Amino acid sequence: MKLSGIESGWAMAALSAMFPGSPETGLEGIAAMDVSGYLDDVMRTRPFRAVLGLRVAVWLVALAPPFVLGRVATIVGLAHPERERLLDGLLAHRTYSVRMLVMLLKTFGALLYAGDDRVRARLRPARLRPLIALRLRGSPR
Amino acid sequence: MKPPAAPAPSAPSAPFPDDALPAGAVVEGDRLEADCEDAYDYVVVGSGAGGAVAAHVLATSGASVAIVEEGPWVHTRDFGERVYDAFRVLFRDAGMQVIEGRSYIPILQGRCVGGSTVVNSAIAHRTPEDVLDDWAGMDLGGGLGGVVTAKTLEPHFDALERELSAHAVSDDALGDNDRRFLDEATMHGLLGRRTRRYEHGCRGSGRCFTGCPNAAKQGMSVTYVPWSLALGARIYTSCRVERVVIEGGRATGVLARAAGAPGRGERVIKLHARHGVVVAASAVQTPNLLRRSGLRARALGEHFQCHPGYGLGALFDDAVRASAAGAGRMGATQGAEITSLRRTDRVKFETLALQPELAAVRMPGVGHDWMRRFDRYASFAQWAMVLRAEAEGTVRSAWGGGDKVRWTPSPVDMDRAVKGVARLARMMFEAGAREVWPGLHGVPTAIRSVDEVSAIERMPREPRAFSFLSTHLFGGARMGTDPRASVVGTDFQTHEAARLYVVDSSVFPTNLGVNPQHSIMAMSRLAATRIVAGGRARNRAA
Repeated sequence: MKLSGIESGWAMAALSAMFPGSPETGLEGIAAMDVSGYLDDVMRTRPFRAVLGLRVAVWLVALAPPFVLGRVATIVGLAHPERERLLDGLLAHRTYSVRMLVMLLKTFGALLYAGDDRVRARLRPARLRPLIALRLRGSPR
Repeated sequence: MKPPAAPAPSAPSAPFPDDALPAGAVVEGDRLEADCEDAYDYVVVGSGAGGAVAAHVLATSGASVAIVEEGPWVHTRDFGERVYDAFRVLFRDAGMQVIEGRSYIPILQGRCVGGSTVVNSAIAHRTPEDVLDDWAGMDLGGGLGGVVTAKTLEPHFDALERELSAHAVSDDALGDNDRRFLDEATMHGLLGRRTRRYEHGCRGSGRCFTGCPNAAKQGMSVTYVPWSLALGARIYTSCRVERVVIEGGRATGVLARAAGAPGRGERVIKLHARHGVVVAASAVQTPNLLRRSGLRARALGEHFQCHPGYGLGALFDDAVRASAAGAGRMGATQGAEITSLRRTDRVKFETLALQPELAAVRMPGVGHDWMRRFDRYASFAQWAMVLRAEAEGTVRSAWGGGDKVRWTPSPVDMDRAVKGVARLARMMFEAGAREVWPGLHGVPTAIRSVDEVSAIERMPREPRAFSFLSTHLFGGARMGTDPRASVVGTDFQTHEAARLYVVDSSVFPTNLGVNPQHSIMAMSRLAATRIVAGGRARNRAA
């Protein structure tokens, strides 16, 4: 029940928007990792309902741009900032199942990204740096 | 028999208790070449807090004991750091099990030798006396008949605490996050204290949820299970008990299935029990196992309760993840708690040291905002609320043979949850948080001052606005003297089948408001002690 090529492309577009890496610290994004191998493993080893949910989530983020941003495109056709805006909107969506499905995708992405040895190495307390000012956008409500 | 001493924490090369096990004591279901059949005095279903303790008491009495565990034995040396891998090998449904109701609530249960004790924080709370008083007064056909009381449980709590080294988190394992939490509790006049846990030489790795890599946490896979095997017990791993065999109104054994050796197909395991079957499969699996075994009690699968938990993330200006043990150590996974609001507000507050993957899920947003926050993981703290919810739910069999748990918090529960989260957010700001992440639908994803906490207080009391998670599960086969209102009698035997005992939290008439492992273990120890005494009495009579 592997993701098809087109589904993998959508998943990669969404996950690389979620976990883009940090130019300030030199931390690589999820795109530098083996995302397709990871997703194959998820689809092979996780329970049916989780796998089904993940697949629906991929289709949801792929086809959401017309409904959330008013753009006739799939997520692949969006520029990076628009992808972030799309995903932020879906995570705060008024429909519970939409929020939960996108959260499921984020959860699987986070398990891969933050579980990576290179990422973990950068997070160790020994590497503490002084806090720089947070430059955060207005938080979605 | 006194349990063997745990390995000294200062000797990393010393074998872990699960390294060298008696020859022939472990039968691995996924390597079985043929069906097997054997007979024991007792067959214990489940190797978690309830099953392992019962097995040890029974084995200590000289009885022959088989433990049947659905999951594999994952040894200390094989515990990895990655949450993704741990979910797959240690957790039921790879960590994707949920309660269904108005919202979905993930429930995390261990599915391996040691059960949930492998993946929890080994917190040791005695059953609160007011809860025991409530049980005694419940309409269960005369309460619990004076069998489960503070007095009857006390010697068992004492023994468990002695054998498993229960004590408060040490200075070395206390994280900076815990210290701030305790300071804040003091400022609010709340009873904050270091968490009391079963551990022997905790090094503050913060990896309780993925299996302690040092065997410092005294989970069942490094204590009562190997101690039972040393006394002659045998464990069947990766074997799922399909049903308890009941003949002539009496439990006489279990029928289990295993995947078998690769290429050899499924294997059947028949274990005969001369004196009884002890079920400790958890509040979710036990009711369904009893149902598959032919029990039809009206209360079976009813009165399910849980403690929904909710974590609040926050970012501080400086590091909160270091422990006194030094850089690179996060501190105890759960190092500090406030229990003084349990009766008044029905909440318990506690600290959580989340591994990077779990913190990553908890951090709000996506993209570059998310990255900026994640880059400050060392300054990230999570404080959590555990709610003693009043609502009750059900446990049923799902289509295809799985488990279906239905439960929705009541409006009163939701009101308490909202107030609890708001209080916790306020405390985090007062402790110096730069921003707090409520994670609640309809509330800003990040709030930056204590004045903004009012947004939480104003939010609708809607379960779907929360992302609860639960690990404390109760009921479904509750205890009582009235067979119409309960499943298990005060002798821990089911009303319907003799010598079929239940010794896990499914027998609890209600939830507790504190972590249940200690209560499960003490109840199991009490039950097993009585089973042994009953067996001796029967032998004398014979």
